[in-house]
Amino acid sequence: MKKLEDLKYVVRLSEVSKIFGSDEHKTVALQNVSCEASAGELVLLLGPSGSGKTTLLTLIAGLLRPSSGTISLFGKNIESYSAKMLQQIRAMRIGFIFQTFLLIDSLTVQENVGVVLRFNGKTRREAHRHAFRLLEQFRIEHLAKKFPRTLSQGEKQRVAVARAIANEGDLIIADEPTGCLESKQGFEIIQLLKTYSKDQNRCVIVGSHDLRIEEFADRILRLEDGILRESA
Amino acid sequence: MDMYAVRTLRSQPLRLMLTIGGIALCVILMFFLFAVYRGAADGSVEYIRQNKTDLWVLQRNATNILRGSSLVSAVQGRKIQQIPGVKSISPVLFVLAAIKKGDRDRTVFLTGFDPEKNIGGPPYLVAGRNISHDNEIVLDKSFAAKFRFKVDDHVEIQEHSLRVVGISTGTNAFVIQYAFVTVRFLQKMIGFPGIATCYLVEVDEGNTLAEISSQIRRELPRLEVYDHETFLENNIQEMKSGFLPLLYTVAAIGGIVLTVILSLLLTVNILERRKDFAVLKTLGSPKGFLRWLIIEQALLISSAACVVALIVFFPLVQMIEKISPEVSTKSTVEQIIVVVIIVEIMSLISSFLSIRRLRSIYLMEAFL
Ligand SMILES: Nc1ncnc2c1ncn2[C@@H]1O[C@H](COP(=O)(O)OP(=O)(O)OP(=O)(O)O)[C@@H](O)[C@H]1O
Ligand SMILES: [Mg+2]
Repeated sequence: MKKLEDLKYVVRLSEVSKIFGSDEHKTVALQNVSCEASAGELVLLLGPSGSGKTTLLTLIAGLLRPSSGTISLFGKNIESYSAKMLQQIRAMRIGFIFQTFLLIDSLTVQENVGVVLRFNGKTRREAHRHAFRLLEQFRIEHLAKKFPRTLSQGEKQRVAVARAIANEGDLIIADEPTGCLESKQGFEIIQLLKTYSKDQNRCVIVGSHDLRIEEFADRILRLEDGILRESA
Repeated sequence: MDMYAVRTLRSQPLRLMLTIGGIALCVILMFFLFAVYRGAADGSVEYIRQNKTDLWVLQRNATNILRGSSLVSAVQGRKIQQIPGVKSISPVLFVLAAIKKGDRDRTVFLTGFDPEKNIGGPPYLVAGRNISHDNEIVLDKSFAAKFRFKVDDHVEIQEHSLRVVGISTGTNAFVIQYAFVTVRFLQKMIGFPGIATCYLVEVDEGNTLAEISSQIRRELPRLEVYDHETFLENNIQEMKSGFLPLLYTVAAIGGIVLTVILSLLLTVNILERRKDFAVLKTLGSPKGFLRWLIIEQALLISSAACVVALIVFFPLVQMIEKISPEVSTKSTVEQIIVVVIIVEIMSLISSFLSIRRLRSIYLMEAFL
């Protein structure tokens, strides 16, 4: 697997289609999508509900297999990775942000961030310490021992970003990160992600239907009914 | 993260407590069965174990005294005595008989022996003394407690009145208890003077048991001879064959109930937190990590249940023994360790049953 700086593209899709179901019940979620994303850029995947954003993001993360076409992730065809390698890639090189953040309710904030580091091979103590440093970085260290249900949306999003970048992944995949936020908070999370992509020279792909965040994107991919309309 | 196992369990305290309680009950059941078994096992064969003699002589085809009948006549007894190398013989006669108290009666395993021979009597005396006359009786401790007999009381057996002179232990076979009278009294009571169930034979020094045994067999082909160890083993086997199938059946049911309760809880926990598991999978959790979570939970719950069971068990047993004294139990450290190991194994099985649920959680689920 290649290092990030040697890669022209972090992700590259060519002629990727994804069809769910079969025969009468089939849904074409994506049709012949070709696109790419590189280190240092924030790519915005824009499209209305049902346009295939989530499908595309999960394909990129190797959580789904395409029906046809090829996806290359970190310079290699994703088909060539075994399930175990994909799991390790997700643990080491990819960070995730989910629509409702999906912090784990029964874990403290610090543990929520630390869990990724555990998958990343750190010991419990290392993970714990490193997680705290990350919380400090986001100025939420006072929340370390709190449980997610006691947090405000704004606090949750910071924890979510801290968790996403905890493994210092080369690729951040965020699905509707602003979905449940007011615009001010929405801007903040995008700003945080943008900063990460620029400062660390990492690739961030954001799926959203939120037109307000267009201005933060380095590049916008517009999806409509599974078809990529234009790249700008 | 490793707190996840504990935290998710604690987030539903009532459910957790019910589960631990249910499993603890199963564990107590198993402890109790083993304890009753050990108690009954000891009570059944302690008589034989403590009456150490060289040879036991019974009627052919009778291998034990617990189940099966044997009759040896006085004539045969005399013939045994005359065999060179036989030092002494002591007749023992076993008869099932009812002891009356008021309008109640209760069967005992009436054991007639010769008090002058100093063998064939109760294994341990905890009160009073041994019998020395025909109108005296020694009762088992549990039996005496159950029917409130004390030393110096009088009991009635078939119109005969006997004085309780002592109380014995090691004589409670759970389903029945031993009681001791003189063999002469018992022979008279049943109307067969000279009859015995078996003879306890002591051999003169300088003779091998094998030699004397074969000589008895040759002279008295209708009799069978066992050395002490073999005879003890026969009786243990007999007792086991009557007891163990039941023990295993009930213990197995307990084990199954425990496994079902535990896998149910673990499965419900997984299904309730599908999203958590989906998120963990997406974030790159190794398979082993999630499996270990479930195993950890299973072991935590079963260990907690074992602790609860241990705390409750001993006072409970004391209470039961107070209410029904004929239940005499014996718990050894080994027994408890065996049960705990069984429980932990069952809990591992439950975790494996539940772990299969993890597979039904799709990688994509966190995004839906
Ligand atoms: N597992 C699935 N099985 C069947 N159909 C699916 C599955 N996942 C997605 N689809 C379908 O594929 C299409 C694209 O769905 P997708 O979730 O990718 O859209 P989206 O752009 O993320 O929408 P939203 O903004 O509502 O999240 C939809 O028509 C959806 O119903
Ligand atoms: Mg979506």
